[in-house]
Amino acid sequence: MEEASLSLSLSTTTNTNTNDLIATYYLQQWRLKSKSSAAKFESMGFPEPQFLTQIDEDEEDDKEELPTELDTLNSSGGFSIVGPDKLSVRYPSVNLHGHDVGVVQANRPAPSKRLVYYFEMYVENAGAKGQVAIGFTTPGFRLRRQPGWESNSYGYHGDNGLLYRGQGKGETFGPVYSTGDTVGGGINYASQELFFTKNGAVVGAVFKDVKGPLFPTVAVHSQHEVVNVNFGKKPFVFDLKAYEAQERAKQNSTIEKLSIPQNASYGIVRSYLQHYGYEDTLKTFDFESRSTLPPISFVQENGFTEDMNTYSLNQRKVLRQLIRSGQIGDAIGKLKEWFPQIVQDGASAICFLLHCQNFIELVRVGKLEEAVLYGRTEFEKFYKLGDYADLVKDCAALLAYELPQKSSVGYLLGDSQREIIADAVNAMVLSTNPSVKDSRECLHSRLDRLLRQLSACFLEKRSLNGDQGEGFHLHRILNSGRKG
Amino acid sequence: MSLFWIVIRELAEIEAMAASKKVITREEWEKKLNDVRIRKEDMNKLVMNFLVTEGYVEAAEKFRKESGTDPDIDLATITDRMAVKKAVQAGNVEDAIEKVNDLNPEILDTNPQLFFHLQQQRLIELIRNGKVEEALEFAQEELAPRGEENQSFLEELEKTVALLAFEDVSNCPIGELLDVSQRLKTASEVNAAILTSQSHEKDPKLPSLLKMLLWAQNQLGEKAVYPRINDLSTATLEDPAV
Repeated sequence: MEEASLSLSLSTTTNTNTNDLIATYYLQQWRLKSKSSAAKFESMGFPEPQFLTQIDEDEEDDKEELPTELDTLNSSGGFSIVGPDKLSVRYPSVNLHGHDVGVVQANRPAPSKRLVYYFEMYVENAGAKGQVAIGFTTPGFRLRRQPGWESNSYGYHGDNGLLYRGQGKGETFGPVYSTGDTVGGGINYASQELFFTKNGAVVGAVFKDVKGPLFPTVAVHSQHEVVNVNFGKKPFVFDLKAYEAQERAKQNSTIEKLSIPQNASYGIVRSYLQHYGYEDTLKTFDFESRSTLPPISFVQENGFTEDMNTYSLNQRKVLRQLIRSGQIGDAIGKLKEWFPQIVQDGASAICFLLHCQNFIELVRVGKLEEAVLYGRTEFEKFYKLGDYADLVKDCAALLAYELPQKSSVGYLLGDSQREIIADAVNAMVLSTNPSVKDSRECLHSRLDRLLRQLSACFLEKRSLNGDQGEGFHLHRILNSGRKG
Repeated sequence: MSLFWIVIRELAEIEAMAASKKVITREEWEKKLNDVRIRKEDMNKLVMNFLVTEGYVEAAEKFRKESGTDPDIDLATITDRMAVKKAVQAGNVEDAIEKVNDLNPEILDTNPQLFFHLQQQRLIELIRNGKVEEALEFAQEELAPRGEENQSFLEELEKTVALLAFEDVSNCPIGELLDVSQRLKTASEVNAAILTSQSHEKDPKLPSLLKMLLWAQNQLGEKAVYPRINDLSTATLEDPAV
């Protein structure tokens, strides 16, 4: 870290190091996309192009393994028989005492990086005494005791409707349940509670003292008892989505009560348009704002900041337009004319980005021969640098397919790839402003920084909470509220 | 590292230990920030959502062209909605009501409170323009029947009609009804009702996200000491105060 900061402070005269810092950032963004595209392609076979955007969405969901069936490795030693589908349990004999309960856990513990986890149990046959139970237990639980009879376990018992949580005596909790009833057990990570349902309605909740992993657990204890378990393969009787929505709404109403400076959003949007060079939008936005009511009492940013943001606004707009429409050659031409220092070093990272995009554009319109010639002249100098070999390979791979858009490198032909180049060039131009002290400022707009801070806080809070609870999912928030 | 900063850092650690909070250094935090992936497309969507919900039609159209972002609703409907809003803001309530009904007759049918407020605004405008007789007639024929159906409507009606009793309306205790802010309130109500009828959320998402940021920072602040963004307008990280 020390070295990097030294070279940054020396770079006021020569911009090569800082230039590379910006372009390298965007190269890393590209690399991330390449890796995730390849990974998803492998796992999904050969998905249609429209699934590739869906792929990005899945990435946001934290990868955790879910319970899918009942565990058959640990057993209650003959006091429970798990059906061949691993989703049902029956009690084989006649029970004699309190240590011959047939208890079965799920094959994996409940995932915790989410708002709520839930599963259900259907009582197919309450048998002789209806001593069925649903609950949660820790790894290593003695599978011959009802969930709740031992410490660090929870069980809602069907024969008496009591909740046991390791105290020996059960507490009054909910109704009894028997043949034909569906009961559910859930963990609410936001409120740190365990809750249980019967036939679609919540019957009660208790505080979750246990902080470690918890296995969904079911138990049978008298002759002829049979229960079936549902880990989500079939729809639940309980409306889990509604429950989750309710929980989120509770949280949201607390958040909505907070106050933010008036016109904070207005300022952030304006700064965003300036940062990325959306000049036309900005001009129209300013014009339309003048006639709004209530009048925007916007504190104009001091002259210095305003200058920083509007620096070369028109040129950045033109460059973005050219890149977004695939006219890379023209963009490079304009750069040579307006900001030659950026493209001076032909082997710099920014030149690499531009040349790759040019190559991609040639492939897009089917000029394959031209692309090959272009590639041979340009890519050679980058191979010498070694770092970019994997990205060059991706570009070259486009030539291998008749329908490259359907291949694992099809992402290169998407709009988002052009966007990366456009943003990189934009940041580079911003960094040529002599008032810029640290070129890293040019990388992120204010909105970007705010969203990162938001996400980092969520993740850190979750991590300090034993990895329990939701992260920040911008994509989900953007797509919520769609009632149509 | 200068002595000053070393001392600051140590004091922060002492404070954190006293409250048993985890200390996260600037360096560590910046690394976490760097690891976050925020997609440009999503940020564009947020901005478009703001432009569209707040009614900046032309800007939204330009943004669509410049960024390739799809507005999530038909921009033509925004123009209509803004026309209604502007009419109310200018005091042309009859015109606004006509426009709303052109847009979607169900809006006023299913929103008795909104309709009452619009009619109330009409009454206020008549009073403002000194048309006393017309105002009284209007109040008796159009608003009184509504008042009979609903207690709170009746109270509002009585309050509004009371304006006529004052010589100098601008100085009376209910003078606020004549203020432009009353028009803005009604205009906002109409705007929200139209958005809802179009299955669109009535508030932009960006302000909620800003509030969420404040909330998340406070929540984390209970367990850790870390660099925070205290000024939303600069979005700069500030090292934890000692």
